[in-house]
Amino acid sequence: MLKRLQRKTLIPTQIAGYAATLLVGAAIVMLACQLYADLRPLLTQQTDVFRGHAITLSKNVGALQSLNKRGIYFTEREIEELERQPFVAQVARFTSSGFHTKASINFAGQGLYTDLFFEGVPDRYIDVRSEEWRWDSTSNFIPVIIPEDYLSLYNFGFAESQSLPVISKGTVEQVSFTIDLDGNGRHRSFRSRIVGFSGKINTILAPEEFLEWANREFGSAATNPPSRLLVELADASDERIPRFMEEHNYSIKQDELESSKMVFFFRAAMAFLLTVALIIIALSVAFIVMSLNVIVQKNHDLFCNLYAIGYSPQQMARFYRRTVGIITVADMVAATTIALILRSLYVGKLSTVFTLEGSVWPIVIAAAVLTAALIGIYNYIILKTIRGTVEP
Amino acid sequence: MLIELHNLKPKYMSELEVSGSDIYLQPTVKFERGRKYMVCARSGHGKTSLLNFIYGSNNAYDGAVLFHDDDSTPLERRRRKLSYLFQDLRLFPELTALENVQIKNNLTGYKSMAQIEAMLDQVLSPEKKHQPVATLSLGQRQRVAAVRALCQPFEFLLMDEPFSHLDLESSQAVAALVLSEVESQGAGLIVTALDPIGLFPFDVTLNL
Repeated sequence: MLKRLQRKTLIPTQIAGYAATLLVGAAIVMLACQLYADLRPLLTQQTDVFRGHAITLSKNVGALQSLNKRGIYFTEREIEELERQPFVAQVARFTSSGFHTKASINFAGQGLYTDLFFEGVPDRYIDVRSEEWRWDSTSNFIPVIIPEDYLSLYNFGFAESQSLPVISKGTVEQVSFTIDLDGNGRHRSFRSRIVGFSGKINTILAPEEFLEWANREFGSAATNPPSRLLVELADASDERIPRFMEEHNYSIKQDELESSKMVFFFRAAMAFLLTVALIIIALSVAFIVMSLNVIVQKNHDLFCNLYAIGYSPQQMARFYRRTVGIITVADMVAATTIALILRSLYVGKLSTVFTLEGSVWPIVIAAAVLTAALIGIYNYIILKTIRGTVEP
Repeated sequence: MLIELHNLKPKYMSELEVSGSDIYLQPTVKFERGRKYMVCARSGHGKTSLLNFIYGSNNAYDGAVLFHDDDSTPLERRRRKLSYLFQDLRLFPELTALENVQIKNNLTGYKSMAQIEAMLDQVLSPEKKHQPVATLSLGQRQRVAAVRALCQPFEFLLMDEPFSHLDLESSQAVAALVLSEVESQGAGLIVTALDPIGLFPFDVTLNL
């Protein structure tokens, strides 16, 4: 009977308005949380498509350095200073080869050869995953990784202009060649093959372990200090990074700055989306709270009479709490469903390019937190409004 | 339960207005359970205010209203100790006569459906029970409100000008019903009226 009396007080258009705005706001919030959770691993992993937070650092080569090469190397003091910077998580050096290297290949009965150099970096900085990328001192095989730019340069520059056929990565990876190492009065031949292309490290890479071994076997005692460093950034969007680099005349590969910017823009876009969604939700909350206020004011006599015959504010609030609660929960279930459908759409599109390993927990957690928060707010406001109206 | 008033005065009335009252600004006025009180006054002399002060629905007074042997909250008191027939009735126009009584009885669970119907039948013609209160006359509504006030346990029944819209016959029917319920509950009765009424055997008459 109480329910029948109170049901008549509801204003259907206002409740529909609340349900619609909350649905939109909640669906966007959940989707933003899910999108952030899905794409964040891509932004933070070392081997990600956005190049993560590791950058290659070198010194700018000026006119003087081309004569006096000392200026291009990093001193121990400079490396230590770099390590001390708050935005730097770790610094790794490039290991260079201190011996004479020659690569040769038999092509159509003709021997072609070229002088070569190798550099090495810790494996975790390498954006190529290959089964063959390992060095075994008992084997006679050296895996090599070359920059993706080399192949692009040939395919889109040289081959294009000379009407030569373009070469795929697969083709290149099938070509074996011979590597001859000389130094320390020793000589040894190895078989070699390109096992991958790095979009991140602009050098010819051989396994770091191999270089350490080869430097002991064939290298001269004195090796040059590093001219390039791999710097792992704690936060790629830190604005002190470009300033520090400029002050010390260090150069960063442009792509890497771009990727930092991309991370920054992605975060900013997510924050913007989340803010807009939260504003929509706040408006929907304001909407229903105002509607409840109107209901209580318009039906002032009904509430006062109920209180006068002994109904408590809690008993009077129960119907409105339940109604708003049911609408909110139903809305959240609908918003979750919408967010899950939209996620399956973007996962379908993105999974052709990236591997998305995330679960749908962020949507579920966002829905649960939002529902609990809203219902808590409503329960408090409904009771407070009714109590404020009926109590003398 | 014993109700005690000490130096009571509505905040919105001057001392001059309440001078000569048997209740307002008196050091102590006692209402004892089991006794029947009539409070007479002309309009605008604070009859409704007095009952509202006791009922806890108006706190705009100086002095004190005390309940002996009772530490319940005003809301608990409304459900178990004090019943009130309001002058403005406070019915729900969209509900039928029967439903208006039921909505109170649902809260207290004090009377059975049969008892409620029997009480309504004593004061109202049977076909009116199922009509929305909005369609009833003022007198009929007053009778519905009286029945509703009896659907709960009480130690005091407060009635604010209960017969103001009733003819003698209806008044007698209501008075008989009220008296039997008050007697069976061993309760006190406080009735306000413009002029003395002879429908109840009052123990005390007070002029406000």
